[in-house]
Formats: sequence, structure tokens, C-alpha cells
Amino acid sequence: MGDNIYKLLASLKTAIFLLSFIAMTSISGTVIKQKAGIEEYLSAYSEGTYRVIHFFGLDDVYHSPWFLAAIVLFAINLTLCTFGRFKRFLKTRKGSLNLPDEHTLSAMPMHFFVETTSAGHVINLLKTGYKTVHEEESGVLLEKGAVARYGTYIIHVSILIILAGSLIGLVFGHKGFVVLNKGETKSAMTIRGRSNKEIPLGFALRCKDFKVSFYPGGQPKDYVSRIEVIEDNKVVKEKDIRVNDPLNHRGTYVYQASYGAAPSFIFNIDGDEVVLKERDTYEKDGLILMITRFENAIHDFGPGVQVAYLDREEPKTVWFLKNVERLKERNIRGINIRLEDIKEDLYTGLEVSRDPGVWIVWTGFASILFGLYINFFMYYRRIYIGKAPDGIIVAGHAFRNQDAFREEFEKMKGRVLSQ
Amino acid sequence: MSHKILGVVTLMYLFIFFLHVLYFAVNKQKIISVIWIFLYVTLGLHTAGLTVRWIESYNLGIGHVPLSNFYESLIFYSWCISFLLVVMKKRLSFPSITALASLIALAFMGYASISPSVEKTIQPLIPALQSNWLHIHVFTCFIAYAAFVISFISSLLYFFKWKGVLPPRETLEDINYRSVVVGFPMLSAGILTGAVWAHYAWGSYWSWDPKETWSLITWIVYALFLHARIAKGLKGKKMAFFSILGFLCVIFTYFGVNFILSGLHSYTT
Repeated sequence: MGDNIYKLLASLKTAIFLLSFIAMTSISGTVIKQKAGIEEYLSAYSEGTYRVIHFFGLDDVYHSPWFLAAIVLFAINLTLCTFGRFKRFLKTRKGSLNLPDEHTLSAMPMHFFVETTSAGHVINLLKTGYKTVHEEESGVLLEKGAVARYGTYIIHVSILIILAGSLIGLVFGHKGFVVLNKGETKSAMTIRGRSNKEIPLGFALRCKDFKVSFYPGGQPKDYVSRIEVIEDNKVVKEKDIRVNDPLNHRGTYVYQASYGAAPSFIFNIDGDEVVLKERDTYEKDGLILMITRFENAIHDFGPGVQVAYLDREEPKTVWFLKNVERLKERNIRGINIRLEDIKEDLYTGLEVSRDPGVWIVWTGFASILFGLYINFFMYYRRIYIGKAPDGIIVAGHAFRNQDAFREEFEKMKGRVLSQ
Repeated sequence: MSHKILGVVTLMYLFIFFLHVLYFAVNKQKIISVIWIFLYVTLGLHTAGLTVRWIESYNLGIGHVPLSNFYESLIFYSWCISFLLVVMKKRLSFPSITALASLIALAFMGYASISPSVEKTIQPLIPALQSNWLHIHVFTCFIAYAAFVISFISSLLYFFKWKGVLPPRETLEDINYRSVVVGFPMLSAGILTGAVWAHYAWGSYWSWDPKETWSLITWIVYALFLHARIAKGLKGKKMAFFSILGFLCVIFTYFGVNFILSGLHSYTT
């Protein structure tokens, strides 16, 4: 029973099945919108369809338990396949490093005779680029490109390394965002999700400056945030963050992701200048004001801001219009309130990610490319040099890429026979 | 200027295709050597067209390699196909293969210059594309895509029987396998350089964006193809079918994702 499960888990058939399963189910995530809000799904699908989508985790396929389970099973399968094959390879390699007898050599498709008694001379002629791996009384075995045989193992182990690195990232990593106005400091990032949880960064980020520039045609050219990293009230690092050029502080990467504009309103309330933002409240001597709405264009009158206040316990609202003199100033409960100006402040949207697995993933990337290269662009070949009754027999064998080897072998033959 | 050169290149691909038709009609070996001369000249002009466009972008003050929008990618895809033809001439020198390859190169060039929905002017690079990873990522991906075009062509021809016109079936099988052997490592390199770039640009090396997902699906299909071929001895029509399936995934990764699905890789915004 246990033996059967092992055989099933370690078989190539299982690998093919699991990979096909992963590929096919991945398609659903490119068709159905991922991680959207319930409202968005209900506007696109019926309630029944949404229930099915949600039940199978199709609204977040790549993190659904069954998808992750398929990847874990695949990792187990790949481990067993690779190590099983490698063990068999080492065993057969030891046994295969010998010199076949004269008859076997002369039966090989690529071979030739040399009428000479000095085997050493022939060996020296053929040795360029080749390594002697076996030597005995009757001859030698040379090989080249032996590393190519490790290609498949390197590729498969690299995939396991990449999967391990991404698992570490999934378990120990965090991803969130920080929105900063110019001059603002924050020491926590917000994790995206239904609850918008905040987690501490371990240091503080201050936005010293933010700039956007545009090409003459109006397309965005560059956005730059000048960011200070603050630890124990001291600035320990300062950097201009732009797209494609993140800040790295002790493994936490801070990226330029987006930007936006938030208006702030400058009021003159009874002679005092007061700056308020959207949703801000102002309270003084029983007067309570709250900014409830901002519109960039109210009909043709330009920007305006709606302010709510209490009039004898009853909430009322009033609009201040920046460009209309008559509607710039109001009297609320005997107090003169005047909208002096509306300013658009730019804020910067920073993406923050901490992924301790990323270097493991990079290692896997480098080694898989190396493995692919040696597996597909190098090949393993052998030259046998054995004693025959009246001379020496040279035979060659390539385990792949026979055409290229035949050319090489013919050249060798010419080199030896012309001597 | 570059538009004019690329316009001539498009006409030359059309002319090369007609030369093939002529060859199939009169069956004179001499035409084949003429075809190859034209293929070399066309590749040279095509390279010149891309280079001039590159220089023009610098003259506009927004200098960048011409690999940044859909139009440029179509032109480059076509370039990669004729580049591979020339590099692998020894193996691919069969008129039926060069005929289909130049027809596909022509189709991409024609689509790029005729379709009104493809923006042809040189546009400045948006911040997300301002990275050195752009060059290596696009280059590896499109060399892979072009290699898969060759494997697709040899798979398609496998289903026809024209004695003397088509290469022998074993040769078609060999070309199919060998072009996947070029395409697969290149696609891997393309995906991995894309992942490293994504880490520096967006903060995550893999975010299951539709383009990423489809490139992974394509990668899995060709990985299965190689395993089935090497370990299970996949051959004949089954192998050709498998390769065509892989190419359909390539086409969906390149076109489908941009037009049907939306995501970070959309050429249109």
C-alpha cells in the first residue's frame, strides 16, 4: 500500500497530470477577475454563479487551498522523481565506466583502425578537450561534456529552490502600501484586504518631496518621491524613489507605485486662517464644521466645497464656491466664514514589500538558466581507444546530437590517419 | 524614414513569398538561391529599419530601444523570425519552411502597418518601461516566440504529403524538436528576466497577471512536450499536435492577453 503510493507519487505520469492540472486551472484566474469586491462579482454574474465561484475559491484561484495543494504535490513528486533518477544515474554511471572489448568497439557505428603500436601517441592526438576517465591495460576511455548529463537534475532542483523561495516569501513576507503627503511621516504599512490591517514597518518613512513630470505630449515621464528613512528619530537614509528604482532598507523594499492629488481648503474663520482637508472637522466655541464634499466643477462655477454644520441640533449643509465672490463668504451662527483658497496637494503612493525568500528565488533562477544551457546546448560524448591485434581501434559515441558528433569524429579520424 | 524602410521590408517579404510560389510552379533550383539572397537583404533592411527608428527616437528627445509598444513588438517579432531563418539556415533550408516563415513575417509586418488600431508613432517611454531589463526581457521572449513559429510550421507541414516538395517527415520532426530546444530556454529566460524586472518595478516577482499566467501555461505545455518527447518517445502526428497546442498558447500569450484580458502588460491603456 505505502509502496504503491510512493510509486504513484514518484512517477512521471503523476508529474504530467499535476502540471496539466495546474496549467488548466490557471486559466480560470485569467478569465475571472481575482480578489475583487463582492459587488463587482454580483454585477458580472448571477448570485448562484457567484456562490459557486466563491465556494471553489475561483475569486482567488492562485491562493485557494486546492491550487496550493496541487503545487505542494507537484513539489513532492518532483523531489522523488529527481532523486530517484539521480540515484539510478550514479549507479549505472559507475558500472558504465569500462572499456568494451575489441569486438564491441568494431561493431559501433563510428569507429576506425590505426595501424600503429604506440597507443600513447594516438591518445595524445585525441585528448584535446577530452578527459581520461578510465584507463586499463588494453586502452583508455575519454569523455567530454560530462556536465551536460547533470543538466536535468540542475533544472529540476532549481524549480524546487524557486518553489521553496516563494513559499518562504508567502509565509514570512509582507506586502502593503503607504500613502504619504508631502512632509508626512508614517511608520506602518497597510495590508490590502477586506479589513485594511496595518502592520509596523520597524522604521518610519517621511516624504520630503514629491514631483511628477510629463512629456510634451502629456504622457507621464517620471515620478519621484524623496524619501527619508527614520530610525530612533534619526534620518538613516535618504533616496529618490522612482518607478523601477526602489529603496531597500534592511530587506524591506519601498516602491514608487502611484500618486494622486488631495485638495486642502484654506478658510478664514472669524479672522483666523484654518486649513482643512476632506472629512476634517473644525470645532471652536460651540461651532462645529465638517468638510463633506469637494467638486472640481460645479456646473460652470468652478471648484466648490460642501461644509456641514449644526443649526440648533439640526444638520445643515452649505456650498462655498471658490470663483464666485457672492458664494465665497457665509455667515453661520453669526460667525463670518470665508473660503480663501483651494490647493491641490500631491501625495505619493508607495508599495512596500518584505520578502526574505527573494534571494533564494534569484538563486533558483540563475541555476535553472545554467541547467537549461548545459542540458540543451552541451552534450556528452565518449571516445574509446582499445588495442586490436594489429593496431589500435578508436570508436566514438554521443548520447545526443549525433550529427554534430559525427562531424567532430570525422575530423579526429583525419587528424589521426594523416599522422 | 524608418516607416519607409519598413514599408519596403514588408513588400520584400511579399516578394519572397511570390518567389516561393514561382519555385513551386516551375521547380527550378536556382530560384532557391535567389530566395536566400533576398532573405539576407531583407533581414539587413529590416535591421536597418529598426535601427533608424531607434535613432529617430533619440532625435525626438525620447530615445529608447524600439521594443516598447505593440507596433514595435510586431516589427520585432517579424525580425526575429527572419533572424532565426538565417541563423539556422543549415537546418531550415527547405522552400516549404521558408515560404511559410516569410508568409508569417509578412502577416506581422502587414498587420503592424495596415491595422488602424495599431499606434505607429514613436511614443515616449512611460516610467514602468524605463528599465534596462526591457531589452533582455523582450529580446529573449521574442526569440522564443519566433522559434515556436518554426516548430509550428514544421508541425503543420507534417500533416501534408507532397512528395519532393516537403522535407522528409523525420526532418520535420527534427526541426520541430530542435526549435523547441531553442525556444524553451529562451522562453524560460524571458519569464525569469521579466520576473526580476517585475520585482524592481512593481514590488513582486510574480503577481499572476494574465500575461504572466499565460506565459507559465505556455512554458508548462512545452515542458510537457519535451518530457513526452525525451522520456516517453513522443513522435509523429501526436508530437505535431502537441507542438501546435504550444503555439496556440504562444499566440494567446502574445495577442489574446492584450485584446481579450486586461492586465499590467496591456499595450493599450
